[in-house]
Order: sequence, then C-alpha cells, then structure tokens
Amino acid sequence: MPDTLDPHVRFGSNSGQPVTRRDGLAKVTGTATFAADNTPDNMLYAVFVPAAIARGRVTGLDTEAAAAHPGVTHVLTPQNRPPLQGDPSDKPTMFSFRFEALQDDSVRYAGQPIALVVAETLEAANEGARLLNPKYERLTPRTDIDDAEPYAFEAAGFGLPANTVHGNPEAGHASAAQAIDVTYETAPQYHNAMETHAVVAKWEGDHLTLDMPSQAISMSCAGFAYYFGIPAENVTVRSPYLGGGFGSKAIPTGPYVLAILAARMTGRPVKMMLTRQQMFGPVGHRGQTRQRLRLGADDTGRLTVIDHEGIAATSTFDDFVEPAANASQGIYAAGALRSTHRAVKLDIGTPGPMRAPGEASGSAVLECALDELAEKLGLDPLELRLKNYAETEPGTGKPYSSKALRECYAQGAERFGWNSRPRAPGQMRDEDGLLVGWGMGTAFFPCPMFMAEANATLRADSTAVVETSAVDMGQGAWTALAQIAADSLGLPLDKVDFQAGRSGLPDGGVAGGSGHTATAGGALHAAGGDVIRQLGEIAAADPDSPLYGAGNAGFVARDGRLYVAGDESRSEAYTDILARSGGAEIAGNGSASRAPETAEQHAMNAHGAVFAEVKIDPDLCQMRVTRLVGAFAAGRIINPRLAESQLFGGMIWGISFALHEEARHDHKRGHIVNADLAGYHVPVNADVSGLDVITVHEEDPYVNALGIKGVGEIGITGTVGAIGNAIWHATGKRVRRFPIRIEDLLTS
Amino acid sequence: MTLHRPESLDEALSLLGGGAVVLAGGTDVYPGLRDGPPPSRMVDLTRVAGLRGISLRDGLWRIGAATTWTDVLRAELPACFAGLKGAAREVGSVQIQNTGTVAGNICNASPAADGVPALMALDAQVEVAGPEGPRRVALEQFIRGPRNVDLRPSEIVSAVLVPEATGQGAFRKLGARKYLVISIAMVAAVVEVSGNAISRARVSVGSCSPVAVRLRGLEEALTGATVAEVPGIVAGADLPGLTPIDDVRASAAYRREAVRTLIARTITDAMEVRDVT
Repeated sequence: MPDTLDPHVRFGSNSGQPVTRRDGLAKVTGTATFAADNTPDNMLYAVFVPAAIARGRVTGLDTEAAAAHPGVTHVLTPQNRPPLQGDPSDKPTMFSFRFEALQDDSVRYAGQPIALVVAETLEAANEGARLLNPKYERLTPRTDIDDAEPYAFEAAGFGLPANTVHGNPEAGHASAAQAIDVTYETAPQYHNAMETHAVVAKWEGDHLTLDMPSQAISMSCAGFAYYFGIPAENVTVRSPYLGGGFGSKAIPTGPYVLAILAARMTGRPVKMMLTRQQMFGPVGHRGQTRQRLRLGADDTGRLTVIDHEGIAATSTFDDFVEPAANASQGIYAAGALRSTHRAVKLDIGTPGPMRAPGEASGSAVLECALDELAEKLGLDPLELRLKNYAETEPGTGKPYSSKALRECYAQGAERFGWNSRPRAPGQMRDEDGLLVGWGMGTAFFPCPMFMAEANATLRADSTAVVETSAVDMGQGAWTALAQIAADSLGLPLDKVDFQAGRSGLPDGGVAGGSGHTATAGGALHAAGGDVIRQLGEIAAADPDSPLYGAGNAGFVARDGRLYVAGDESRSEAYTDILARSGGAEIAGNGSASRAPETAEQHAMNAHGAVFAEVKIDPDLCQMRVTRLVGAFAAGRIINPRLAESQLFGGMIWGISFALHEEARHDHKRGHIVNADLAGYHVPVNADVSGLDVITVHEEDPYVNALGIKGVGEIGITGTVGAIGNAIWHATGKRVRRFPIRIEDLLTS
Repeated sequence: MTLHRPESLDEALSLLGGGAVVLAGGTDVYPGLRDGPPPSRMVDLTRVAGLRGISLRDGLWRIGAATTWTDVLRAELPACFAGLKGAAREVGSVQIQNTGTVAGNICNASPAADGVPALMALDAQVEVAGPEGPRRVALEQFIRGPRNVDLRPSEIVSAVLVPEATGQGAFRKLGARKYLVISIAMVAAVVEVSGNAISRARVSVGSCSPVAVRLRGLEEALTGATVAEVPGIVAGADLPGLTPIDDVRASAAYRREAVRTLIARTITDAMEVRDVT
C-alpha cells in the first residue's frame, strides 16, 4: 500500500486517512536503528550486577577476580564509584525518581544495581559481573502488601495522588438503600517492552551524546545534565525508534546513570542494554494495589456514594503510589465521591507510571464493583451505568468538553448483542459445552496536554520540513503527526520531511498521558499555520497574484495551493507565490499547551464502553476471552488504522491484566520468581481473538485546537472489568483478585 | 570455553569427562546457565553421523538423539505416536521445536517435560552409549528424579527406542495460556480398542509429580471400558502416583481436580481418534 493516497482524491486532507506507518518498512526490514544498534568506535560494554536479595547489605564483592578477567577494564562499586554532581536522591525534573547508583552498600530491593563491570566485550563484562560473586548480610524482606502498615499522606505530586472528596460520603452511605463493600487486589506488573532499556553514552569534553529510547527527550536531557553537572543543552539524546515504552522509558534510572558515568570515567563510549531479567526491578513497574470499594444506591439504582480506598505498594526510599482510587472520580453521577490513597513501603523497586497508571487498576475494580451492585439491585449492568450517566462532571458540575459515551454504550451494545444477555449468571453454554459469560465496563481516560514546540519551513519547490523532538514509541505517532503537519501546510504527506526523535529540535514534549498527538500535533499545526499565514500575506500584497487583496477573506491551504476562502476560482500554487517573492523559504514556528483557564472551564475526557465474552471450561476452569467489543469516543481520529491499533493494544493489555500478568515474589527471599517472559505471562496471539473496535464520532471544540483526545491508554480501562464481570456471568463466581487464575474458579 | 563438534559417536564419547557438557539443541542447556559461566567444554552432538532421524528396525522405532521435535512432527509414524506428535507441537515455540531434541527433553528431566509422558505411554527405552558399549534402560527407570537421570559422565544418550505397537495415541496439555506455556499438567495415552471397549490402555501424567508417572492401576481398571464408562472410572480411580505441588503455575488442589478431567478427555480422544490441537 502506498504511503499516501492520491492528494486529488484527498482534497488536501491527510488527517482521517488510514496511512500506514512511515517507518514500517524500515522496521520490518531491520534497517531501523534502535539505540543498542549503535556501536561507535572504541566502545566499551557495561553490565550491572543485580542484587540477589531484597533487603540487607553487600558485604563482599570479589573485585580482584572480576578485574583480573581478560577484557575487563573497570569494576565500579560503592567504594570506588566516581562522584556524581547531582544526588541520585534529588528530583531535578517532573519525571524523576530516587535511584541507586552505588551510593552505598545497602540493598533495598532485589534487582538493584550493586556493582558495574566495564569491559572490552559484552562477554567479558558478563563474566566479570559473575566473578564478583556478591556476599550479603540479609535482613528479612518485606515484599507482601501485608508486611507493613499502610500510611496516609497529604501532599499531592507526581505519583502521589491527593485524597479527593466531593459531596458528603457519610450521608451517601447513610441514605443508601442497597450497598456493597468489596475489596479487590491487583498484582504488581512490570513493563516489558520488546526493546529493553538500552543506552550508548559518549562524552566529548563536557558534551554528552546518548543513544537511548526516550519517551521524554527534553526532560531526559535536563535530568541527566543535573546528575552530571552540565547544562541541559550539552546533552544530546537521540531516540529515533523505540520498541515500546509504556511509561518506563520516560525516567532517568540508576543503570543509565552508571553507564554514562562509566563513559565519562573511561573517556570511551559505553553501551549498556538491560537483559529481560534486569527489567524486573530498577526501571519501574505498576505497583500492587488493594482496593476497597463501598458503593451505595437508592432503590432505583441511583448511586448515593462511590467510596474508593486504595492501598498501593511502593518502595522504602521513594513514594510513587498507583493512583487507583482516582479512577472513580469523573465518571458516574454519584451523590458523593471519595477517593483516598495510602501506601505500603516494601523492599521492592519504586513503582512508576505504567500504561494508564491508576486508571487501569482503579477502573478494573470500580467496574467490577458496579457489576456487583447491579447484581444486588437486579439491574442490567448497562442499565445501572445509564441510570448514573453523568451529564456534567460529578462533584464539580463542570460541563464536559464533549462526551459521546451514551453513543459508545449504544453502538457497543448493539455490535456485541448485549440485549440478549440473560441477567443471571451461568445461563449460557456454547455448542461444545463451555460456559459463556458476558460482561461490560465503562472506559474512561483524561485528556492531558503537555507543552510542545515545532518549526515548519516551506521551501520554494513546495516541499516542507517540519521539526519537533516528538517520540514514536512504535505506535505510529510520527505518521499521525506528519499527517497533521501536512494538513497544516496544505501539502500532500510525501512533500513533508518530518524531523523528530532527537534533542536539539524544538521540544516535542512527553510521549505519555495519551497526550502526545494532541500536544506535539498542536505545535505542528500552529507552526504550519504560521507558515501559511506568512505565505498569505505575501500573496495578498502581491499585485501579480490572483490572491492580491484577498487578505481579509482569508486563505485555505490545500494540495500546495492557496485558495481564497469561499472562492474556489481564485487560487495560486505555493511555488508561484514563492518564485515571485524571490524564492525564499518561509519559516514558521508554533507551540501548544493548554491554558489553565481553559482547563478550568471544562472536564476533558475520552470515554468508551467495552463488552467482553469469555468461555470457560466447566471442568478445567480454563478461561478464554473470545470476543471484545470496544466503542470509544476519543475526539478527532487522525489516523483510523493507527488509532484502532492503539485501542486493540489497550484491550489486549486488558486481557493481560485480567488473566495473565503478575510478578510473583518469593516472600521469604524477596526476589521475583518469574522475572522472564517464560514465567511472566502476557497473552500470546492465540489468546486474543474477536477484537472489535468502534470509534464513535466526536467533535470537541474545547479540548485543543485539533479536537484530539488521545487513544494510547483508554483501551485498558473498562476492558479488565468487563472480563472479570464476564467470568462472573459465566460461572457465578466473583474473583476479587487480578489476574484471575484458573484455580480461583475451582468450585470444590 | 571449548566447543567440540564431533562427527562420530566414538569421538563424542572420547571427549567426555572433565566437566564436559553434552549439547544438542541447546534449548535447555543455555537457559540453564542463567547468570553462571558456560562450562569449560561442550560437546555438540548435532554433527554426529546417524544420530538424527527416526527409523524402524526389528520391531523397534529408533529416535536418534539429535532428532528434533520438528523432525518428530514431520515423520511418518503409526497412530500410537499421535500423543508424541501432540507433545512435539506444544514443546515451547516453533523455533524451539526446530532445534530442541527428544533426547534432550528426557535428559533435562524437568517434571514439566512435555515429551516424557508421551514417551512413557509408549514404553520407551533409552539407549545409552558409553565406554563399555551400549546399554538400554526403560525411560521410567532412566529418569530418577527432577534433573536426575541414570547417565554417567562418560555416557551419552544415543537414541530413544519405542517398541512397535498398535493403538491410538493422544496428548493433552493444560496451561494458563494457549501456547508457549509451561505445563500445569499434561496427559499422554496410547489406547487399543477391541470392539467398542478398551483392550489395553497406557496412560502417563506429567507435571503432577517429581517425575512423570504411568498410572498402571488406572490402566488395569480401564480394560474393558467403553467411551461412556471412561469418565466414571477415572473419577473414581485411586491415583497414588500423583503428588502435585503448589507452584507459580497452579495450586496442588487445582491440579488434583483438573488432572482427572484431562485424563478422561485424553483417553476419550484416543478412543475417538480426535486430532487434539
């Protein structure tokens, strides 16, 4: 399939077309250069030694044996590690965590770096690491959520959700005719992007070049600059391709800092790539939660209160708390809403943002709790949600910038065939005798915007170059962003040279929060608009142009021509306008962010409805998700192919959350026993069938200039609960723990 | 580290000792190293002449030690091997099946080895080559415990031998996801039917005891059973050989309950000659 459709067919509109990924060919033919594919001359390899215990201290390392191994050049331990200029316990940017970079001999979680070996070859570095043969003083590890007392906190910050109350929860409880009080647990999950964390670090004087996958290029420059005492502009991050990120590649980590330090110390480029096992510890994860949901409703099913308490596991030395309870804010029109969070400090690596942080875990439990309430009330689960449909944001009363959730419910239910669902569980069987269950859940995700800047330059030959340090994590962001840029310039996609993925370009912002297309796209849209504005001014002032004097009417840019707005008969090609003006390029720039006052006026969220069918073997209890229908209203869809793919990905993650993913600790020794992809399960292709996505039309004039809401994370929300509810509907069994395991369904 | 690639069995045997590790497909040896060092010497059997392939001679099927799971899948074999083929289809991934070997699977002696129940149900024997010449030992005796086999450092498994037999094989594997999964339990059966009743059944279960086991008491009880009677017989059978444990994959209680269903279905598959996928 060609990269672009015929521009004449498209009439100048690139957005809305299902363009294939611009980097797809490079990736499937292996020519795309990922971070670890870089091998500069004279490069060394660094390998860190992960702690084998979860709590205690390192009492011995055989550094002599390691250093004596042929090829090993340096062995770094807390005894000889050169100083850093910024304390690893400081937080120089919004996306910073405290990390271990050999500050001392203490061990705070299994997998923590306790030494670094640098060598001429990867094999020598690995062997040196093995020869260190660490000795430990062990303390009893605390890795179970019951191993420490939950503590409350007040301050809100990144990963420290505030406690939020709207209305009077106690009154809501008191007035409830029907109530449920249920506690669910969600498992610790570890980001396992196909590409593990990798860096090739190279110093030239006090300038640092990093080839690394980064979801937050500018912020990474600032972060690493801080730890090494250099200006942020001295750090170059090149991140052309990422093999997935999911939140874990936004943050400077201990292993990265150690590799960069080794490069500075040796004066040679240093490469480090984490093994799959090393991903389970020092680079973040989704923290385990225990959530209590107390719901009250009147006799008709109108919610009087949603009272959501979350306890989340965090590390002993930092405080990211999975903000699960916040998922109950903003969705349902309950009389009162309360979200509270507490944390439990365990001997684990610090959790962090992982695809739909808070929303994924919180939605899973909220949607299951609502299903339990519907059962108690004798209501259809969809009917309960419609009875509590929020016309304005619950608690604040703010209008939604747009909300087509009702259409999502209707279209999803129709596609799925929800209306023929028997209310009672255990009623349906398929032709093979398998138990069949149907469940649903509401999908919900906020629409944040960050800050981004972009440049656009129109050349005399009617081609353009646009620049922003935006990131493509593999989902096709660059393709969608290039479509936006091409539209803003009124050019076919193949006339636009899209430059992104490295620092030094205008700051493309953070690829996170499902806000990257809206933010970086907004900046590109503004930059292109700036060029077209200048071009219009030139044409309108040029007596030789058919557009002369039409400045007040305004212009429309399409397919390399400027048209007078409302008068198709008057137009001129960019090349002609520019030729007469001396052939000079026109450079424009733009930025995007959301003004605080705009954010105050509307509640801005994407919505959706997910319907799940499961089939369960009545004797073996094997569970299979056989159908998932998701209907999503996420504002303007720039690229339907890529948006659908993102939503599929989220829904598959929902299957994974509901039935597979769980890091399991050996609570006696504290380490994770399934720290590889043989033991840490995600669904295989054969586990995923019958995915169906509907994107519900939605125009949002408030959310941002482009009307984009984002599709990166919402697919997980709703899906997990829908699957859990379908399992109940098939079996009559409520399992209040994710992932649901086959033995949980044992009846005897 | 030295990698030896001998081209004859005698040469291979001469290279053993001194901590040498025998290597075939490498799908267990390499992951088993974990963070440890490679052995100082490895002896790769995949170039040894005549060690790869499946042949029938004098009433014995011979599966050479370098025969891969994909080789098993592609071989023309009688119906009693259907269970072994079913296992071959579910050992790891296709890539693993292309390089992993049948003999390696038994030598690794994992309680969850997919090939072992199927071979046990076929009354497989193990041919061992050593300095004193070849010897044969029944597979049930060869695997003595988890990661523990009847093989001296000077010896190499040269083949797995299966007596020619009639009957229909079947295999079922139970995992928490559909593919690429370490077994919670698996069952292999070879069933001979006379009229509409079982004349002889051989049934083996893996992942529910330290070593896969033949269920001889159940096999006797099944003699004369019709398809309809199988579930009841299995449900009521005493299965002392099964001693499942709790692990990350499933609880012992689940295994105890689920394995009976799996056994009954596998035997039924064999009686109804259903292609199990």
